[in-house]
Amino acid sequence: MRTAREGEAALGRGPVSPERADGWATLRALAELRWRLLLRRLRGPGGVPEMVARVALYVIAIPAGLAFAALAAVGSFQAVRAGRGLQASVPIAALFFGVWQTWTVVALSISERDALDLRRFLVYPIPPRRVFGYGLAASLAADPFAAFWCLLLAGTFAGAAAARPGAWLALLAIVLAAFVAATVGLVALLQELLARLLRGRRARELLIAAVYVGVALLLAWTAGHPGAILRLLRDARALRWLAYPAALAEGAVRELYAGRALAALPWILALVAAVGATAWAAYRLALAAARAGSAGAPRAAATGEGGWPLPGRVGALVEKEAKYLLRHPIATLLALVLPPFAALVAWKVPPRMPAEAGEIVRVLPVLGFALYAHMAAQVFWLNAFGWERGGGRIWFLAPIAPAEVLLAKNLAAYGLSAGLFAAAAAAAIAVGGALPGWALAAAIALHAGIAPWLLAAGNFVSVLNPRAAANTVQRGGSLSPLSSLAGMVIVSAAAAAFAIPVVVAVRRDAPWLLVWGWAALGMAGAIAYRVALPFAARLVVRRREPLLAAVAGDEE
Amino acid sequence: MTLAIETEGLTRLFDGRAAVEGLALSVPAGAFYGFLGPNGAGKSTTIKMLTGLLAPSSGRARVLGLDLDRDPLGVKRRIGVVPDGLALFERLSGAEQLRIHGQLYGLDRRESGRRADELLAVLELASEAGKLVGEYSHGMKKKLALGCALIHGPQLLFLDEPFEGIDAVAVSGIRRLLQDLVARGAMTIFLTSHVLEVVERLVSHVGIIREGRLAAQGTLAEVRGALSLEEVFIRTVGEERGEVRGLSWLGEGA
Repeated sequence: MRTAREGEAALGRGPVSPERADGWATLRALAELRWRLLLRRLRGPGGVPEMVARVALYVIAIPAGLAFAALAAVGSFQAVRAGRGLQASVPIAALFFGVWQTWTVVALSISERDALDLRRFLVYPIPPRRVFGYGLAASLAADPFAAFWCLLLAGTFAGAAAARPGAWLALLAIVLAAFVAATVGLVALLQELLARLLRGRRARELLIAAVYVGVALLLAWTAGHPGAILRLLRDARALRWLAYPAALAEGAVRELYAGRALAALPWILALVAAVGATAWAAYRLALAAARAGSAGAPRAAATGEGGWPLPGRVGALVEKEAKYLLRHPIATLLALVLPPFAALVAWKVPPRMPAEAGEIVRVLPVLGFALYAHMAAQVFWLNAFGWERGGGRIWFLAPIAPAEVLLAKNLAAYGLSAGLFAAAAAAAIAVGGALPGWALAAAIALHAGIAPWLLAAGNFVSVLNPRAAANTVQRGGSLSPLSSLAGMVIVSAAAAAFAIPVVVAVRRDAPWLLVWGWAALGMAGAIAYRVALPFAARLVVRRREPLLAAVAGDEE
Repeated sequence: MTLAIETEGLTRLFDGRAAVEGLALSVPAGAFYGFLGPNGAGKSTTIKMLTGLLAPSSGRARVLGLDLDRDPLGVKRRIGVVPDGLALFERLSGAEQLRIHGQLYGLDRRESGRRADELLAVLELASEAGKLVGEYSHGMKKKLALGCALIHGPQLLFLDEPFEGIDAVAVSGIRRLLQDLVARGAMTIFLTSHVLEVVERLVSHVGIIREGRLAAQGTLAEVRGALSLEEVFIRTVGEERGEVRGLSWLGEGA
């Protein structure tokens, strides 16, 4: 019989030693893996449109980024020339806090963080921190929104270089790169933290309750005292440190623009340290989550009794769909992120609008949230079958009409969007003060009126381009690039149609025209939805095989 | 003889290649029918066509006297299915899955809930009824899927590999339940499985499929003759293989 040492010697020639698996070889293998998976997907059915969509997303993001980069360059040029004072500090603060806020909110709510799943790589002899770091870098490279922000920062750099060439630009480049790294790291950290918090049903419920009770208390407190919160927030300067990537980068750049490179060094060091600490914390949480296995078990109904008292099959379908959405971490994340975001907008935007802008323009941020609530929930109406897994087979095994399935999915998605919108509007009102009656009616008409158009079009996207989606807080992979592009087109077209009443109402200075215009468009949308639903249902039947192959197959 | 399933020339092509070709099945009502074949022979494709998951390329099928093509909803109301890969919603609890599944088959909420509780008890899942399906073990999912297939009282039950990946205790429990259902004349069962010893102890009728074509069909006694089912199966599908080659970098071959 062989000894263990002899056995190891015999095996020694085959397996790759951990040392050899490290370094660039690993990076190349991971890059090749992603590249091959992408190629395979592009070579498969629907691959060409998906590639076109992927390119188109960049084609849209890059010119838009260049246009805004030019503006940022002008602002940066003037700020460097001014050196100090308000002319320098205001553009710098606006740039970093603006980019940080929008980057974070978009990354948490709309964008796709296409990170690597650590859990899948734990089995390989690769340091998990390398996989995590590579995933973060890949998420930056693969996100068209990130390309947009990076172009904006490049414009800032170009403006500063044109205003005052010199060695100090190396420090500025370090600050900008560290700001990007810190923001990407913080987004990852927030996602991991939220994922951890949301894993326990009790914690999730408590968190949501805390946010909504807070909003309700604010509403009660500020009743009759509009603007009280606004004054409080303005005084709370310490809040800026919550956005520490922006606050540290702003401090460093302020000193650099004023020509005080030495004074900028502590800020730069603090920013670099923040990058390291943020990435480390995000990595530790991701690793702990990966090693913990599947999500904890939320206790749901333990007997067949109970259930929602909704009539018939559609009632049961709505119950199932609503439970799916309510148990999805993205829905919880949106419920947590949107109200504070709305409060932030109500705090920052209206005070900066010129008084002569008019009543309609001043309430546009709240109206914007009526549309944004649909966009935030778009993964659920553009990829309605994405979370079914094997359950999707039931739609073809059970005696159910596909139109009823689609209707139930649409009702649940609309309910989620309506809830998000109500919470966002309440938070905006709590901070910015009450809205005029017509504005509230218009916001409701916009939210309800645009829904049938979006849902009717979204049904076709869901059936034609389904993708198996993970039940995680990360949105990466929830939508294919083609569906993302289709969503962009659908939302843009619907928004353009719904902008017509805005133009008419502003020209005639008749706010109520908005309500009637949007209500009319909504009625037309309801008719269009009714007409489109049977076609979408027939498409479900015709496309059952590719649909099931996409959602009930193995996760890629 | 009343037939629960009757197919004529049932064919399914994938990219021009036949996965199932000219299938002529005859499954008597009340039979426990074992549908056997090696991997890739067309068993799951057949079940998918008979239950509405796949459209046949040609041929016709009558299930419980109804034309599958003309009245698919009528067929679906009367059958229960445990498909390959199962059909469970992973973000519902076991109890919710059963109740909602029953409601989708037309049961009212209370009756569906009552039957769900009874099934949970019989399938020994009551203590795990509040867990999400996604957190069930494979064996628990199989049992739950069987519960889903039974909740609306089907006349015909399709089971695609019901014993795959589950332990001997669970196999024994499911086997007893299925035998009892057939013995009481409650339903016809159409089952595919690789576990020939279990199939041999369960079924009354057998069909063997090879490369998409029906190679043998009849009562167990007719098909088996004096041999064991495993011997008949290996002879029919012709899967006799040579010696296994070693791996050059492992063991003596290195």
